Amino acid sequence: METFDKLQILSGAARYDASCASSGSRRDGSAYGTGNTSRSGICHSWSDDGRCISLLKILLSNDCIYDCAYCVNRVTNPVPRASFSAREVVDLTMEFYRRNYIEGLFLSSAVMQSPDQTMERMVSVAQLLRNEERFGGYIHLKIIPGSSSELVSRAGLFADRISVNIELPSSESLKRLAPQKGKQAILEPMSLIGKEIRNSIVERKVSRRAPRFAPAGQSTQMIVGASPESDFQILKLSQGLYRKMNLKRVYYSAFVPVNEDNRLPVLASPPLLREHRLYQADWLMRFYGFSAEEILSDDVPNLEESFDPKTAWALRHPEFFPVEINRADYAALLRVPGIGLTSARRIVAARRFSIITPESLKKIGVVMKRAKYFITCSGRTFEKIDRQQALLKSRFLLGDGGDTAVKKPPKQLILSGLFS
Amino acid sequence: MSRYLYDGTVEGLLSVAARMLAESSEPEQATLDERQNTLFEDGVFIETDAAAAEMFFSRLRQEAPDAAHTFYFFILAEKEGMETSLLRYLILALRHGNKVNGNLADAAVRDIITVARKAQRELHRFKGILRFEKLRDGAYLAKMEPDHNILQPLAGYFSSRLRAEDWFIYDVRRRTAARWHSGTLRLGTIEQFTAPALSEDELRIQALWQTFFRTIAIPDRKNFRLQKSNMPMKYWRYLTEKQEL
Repeated sequence: METFDKLQILSGAARYDASCASSGSRRDGSAYGTGNTSRSGICHSWSDDGRCISLLKILLSNDCIYDCAYCVNRVTNPVPRASFSAREVVDLTMEFYRRNYIEGLFLSSAVMQSPDQTMERMVSVAQLLRNEERFGGYIHLKIIPGSSSELVSRAGLFADRISVNIELPSSESLKRLAPQKGKQAILEPMSLIGKEIRNSIVERKVSRRAPRFAPAGQSTQMIVGASPESDFQILKLSQGLYRKMNLKRVYYSAFVPVNEDNRLPVLASPPLLREHRLYQADWLMRFYGFSAEEILSDDVPNLEESFDPKTAWALRHPEFFPVEINRADYAALLRVPGIGLTSARRIVAARRFSIITPESLKKIGVVMKRAKYFITCSGRTFEKIDRQQALLKSRFLLGDGGDTAVKKPPKQLILSGLFS
Repeated sequence: MSRYLYDGTVEGLLSVAARMLAESSEPEQATLDERQNTLFEDGVFIETDAAAAEMFFSRLRQEAPDAAHTFYFFILAEKEGMETSLLRYLILALRHGNKVNGNLADAAVRDIITVARKAQRELHRFKGILRFEKLRDGAYLAKMEPDHNILQPLAGYFSSRLRAEDWFIYDVRRRTAARWHSGTLRLGTIEQFTAPALSEDELRIQALWQTFFRTIAIPDRKNFRLQKSNMPMKYWRYLTEKQEL
């Protein structure tokens, strides 16, 4: 088979993996090699679905022995099959990298003969790139659940980021939809990776020559909408992964029906708004100091469609507001709808020079149409702060300060790859 | 209120800043414009003093490295008619050090930072969307038309990334080029540009990239508006994936 056909099949099969980040790792190029990595990550292009292209995202093979209900590559699906040789992947990566098409390689694979045999071949691609081509660019390796710990450890030495897909938010769903992938086969490599990363950081403090293990950390992905879990369950799972497993990122992928299977729900279109809200909530947990239990509860187990989770929280907690712009600390500023990380940081910096006036707030970058209900500026209010939730909600819904995503349902809203 | 004039060069501008600092005059009380040499132009023309300009800049780098960084990107933006704000910004930078960039309530500081940030943002964008083509002699060539004059920092960036290759970056509109050849970087102007022949396998690799670009998009999630807002069409001209082969 021609490289062209293989590329078509194996990039088409890889496109449902959401991760595209090339950030979190800094490596200077070697004098004789090609490539380095940049801490902030770099997007090289944007495909027709609006998602950033940063890495050459392909499968080594789509010839799978597993039969996961949601997956386009499952063994019972009549799709054309192809496999790359290690050399083909290496050559493609190097040719694309030298032309600045990509930041590096994202390599995943279907399970060919066994998890170990597949993982072994994936690791050998990374090894060829690093040792023979002296490639200094970004490498993201997917770990095949059930592969041996020795291979996982080797993968981490060549890759910048490694990831194990958790696939579904609960072990019951996993059992039902992906019977060959056990919960243990997924969680074991995850905790092993977490341990290796911590060890490597400790060892590198002692000696700068100690090997780096997955310097850009580990991430995971789960499919949203293929199984019945609530958003609260999903967020609690993510929170656990961030806190206990030290993950850099959890990706949520709106379920796109690619197979007919009576175990799967029938959807008119992928649940993109739900995916968007989950990412917003995820950001609140990672950067804004919220916990999953603050965002949702057993009584309110799902994120609201009409409000972003931060506005929803603010509407439920009138006692927290108004926040005084000239006095509130950074953490309190972050809780105001319409104030993001950047504007909160700018407010704190600008306060050192002078009192912040309402006029300068807007110029600093605060979204006033949303923030005005929740702040005071040297005691001055902007809107009569109405403690009646229902009234405020309706004002938001009428478009005054509301989320534009709702009025026009988003076809696609995905993270830029710039944050790790 | 004193009105200063200068010759329009960066050194000239820094000379005015150096003079004001020496005379400890208040930046609120001064305006600065480029000299037009018309008969009735009033204002004090300040002669460019290269040594004073350099001293001022090295002091800026030492006492407010962030502001020196902002100043550098402001200059790359090639923005005209903002001299008065820039003058005020420079004086404030030496007065407050690095903290000056936090003073966003000050209009001059905010304006300078906004312009500089745009240049910085375009530099970051071009680190991603610059496209090299392989030439017959094995070297690589990238053409671009950025809004800001980012060639120098961009070439610096690629000289640590594509260290083992020989390459050129050519700014089509400004007719300036950077060349990386056996480990040294040189910048210059190009009067006449003739497109060199491509290497034999170049079109094959470009076609492979186009294939990848097409298939990586999820058909159920097509969203051209988002694509265009992330990657404005003005940049498509030199993007390999947007060419007809």
